[in-house]
Amino acid sequence: MTLLPWKRAIRSSGPQTSAFEDLAMPLLPSLYNVAFWLSRNATDAEDLVQETFLKALRGFSSFEPGSNFKAWIFRILRNTFLTSRSGLAAQRTVALEDELSGGEDGPAHYPEAAIDRQTPEMNLMLLSDRAALQTAMETLTPPLLEVILLADVEELKYREIAAVLDVPIGTVMSRIARARAALRAALQSPTGPSKPTGTSREVRA
Amino acid sequence: MSDHLSDGLLNALADGELSAEQLAAANEHLSQCASCTSNALFQSLLKSATAKAGQRYAPPAQLHDRLAQLAKQETTSSNVRGARRPAGALSIAGWAIAAALLLACGGILVFERNAHQDAVASSESAALVTEACDQHIATLAGNAPPQVISTDRHTVKPWFQGKIPFSFNLPENLPADTRLEGADLTYLHNQPAALLLYSIGKHRVSVFVLQRTIAGSVDVVSAEHAGFHVTAFSTAELDVLAVSDVDPVRLSGLVNAIEQVQDGVRH
Repeated sequence: MTLLPWKRAIRSSGPQTSAFEDLAMPLLPSLYNVAFWLSRNATDAEDLVQETFLKALRGFSSFEPGSNFKAWIFRILRNTFLTSRSGLAAQRTVALEDELSGGEDGPAHYPEAAIDRQTPEMNLMLLSDRAALQTAMETLTPPLLEVILLADVEELKYREIAAVLDVPIGTVMSRIARARAALRAALQSPTGPSKPTGTSREVRA
Repeated sequence: MSDHLSDGLLNALADGELSAEQLAAANEHLSQCASCTSNALFQSLLKSATAKAGQRYAPPAQLHDRLAQLAKQETTSSNVRGARRPAGALSIAGWAIAAALLLACGGILVFERNAHQDAVASSESAALVTEACDQHIATLAGNAPPQVISTDRHTVKPWFQGKIPFSFNLPENLPADTRLEGADLTYLHNQPAALLLYSIGKHRVSVFVLQRTIAGSVDVVSAEHAGFHVTAFSTAELDVLAVSDVDPVRLSGLVNAIEQVQDGVRH
């Protein structure tokens, strides 16, 4: 377990703004997009990105040149989200979620109804419905949503996602499998994906 | 159907994470298995569809400019400003005036820099207080048991070994009606922190212990936020914040007890 990456931030010798901006500004759309998905509203997303940006700038001297800046700043975004109000609520959802699904490292199973009941043509039609897929993504719990955003939208490798989330690669693979199974089930549900009702959060409160 | 490709393999295939050997074996199976081929195709299409659907929110136009402005302010606040040399003076009086101006300008610059640093430190402290209060509220609302449940300081302190990159002491003798309930590992100000959970009577207290850093040092001694009282102290190595709705005097009693035992902590 890596314990001490943050310690390097202590020997900060002042922001190197230009180099930092060159790296960070092109990632602003990605950071904002993921921040909005996680926090679910524009105001929180802006606050989250701004706080991430400042933390990354102040700790930029701890960034090791040559390593993956995108993974580094997404890790800061994710940690910042976790300590935000909405992030703390999300953290409390994880335990029960894993309990219900048999643990993070357990095998992911496709729901029975999701397998081989649809023709490839029907699948293609389902996947072409962007709004339905976005609605299905909204139903994912935060741990599954963030892993799918990092893997599919941001195209990070498993080891990079593991570094961002600070979990083993096996957990990343397990969460990806569960997330895709959930998306598949939601899309192939006869009633289509339904908007999250908030039940999962209320259960844990 | 153990011969079929597992979920993990199908996902790793779609994500391009298979080794050359795994890929060859998977391709061989796919050439003979329509079911797995259909699943692999769906996974691949799902990934590309999710990638497109996931790109949903664009940042507002002013956010880029605001962040660039913030970056400039950060640079300004961290740069050491050198005093300007005066232009050449031809007389002693000129030199004297120049020296006086230099002193005055230097004083103003130092004052401005200190004022700015104070403002930055003050806003950071306010953010820290807000974050600590938010976490305290979340702890109260969460109703989840502490990660380590114990009234024994000899159980709670060792629990943090290997979890946080610093150590701290817990007091043996607590003020009347004050009791250690347990502790959690948490993050405060983007740093790992020990969250010690105390109760004073029926009031719950969250005590955050985090490593002192240059950037995130605690600048408050006490504050009020959202109806909660925050009391803080710092040692050479630690920042400690306590949050509760209990009477500030009683909260200070607990904080003082914690502060008194911090000498001689191994770091």
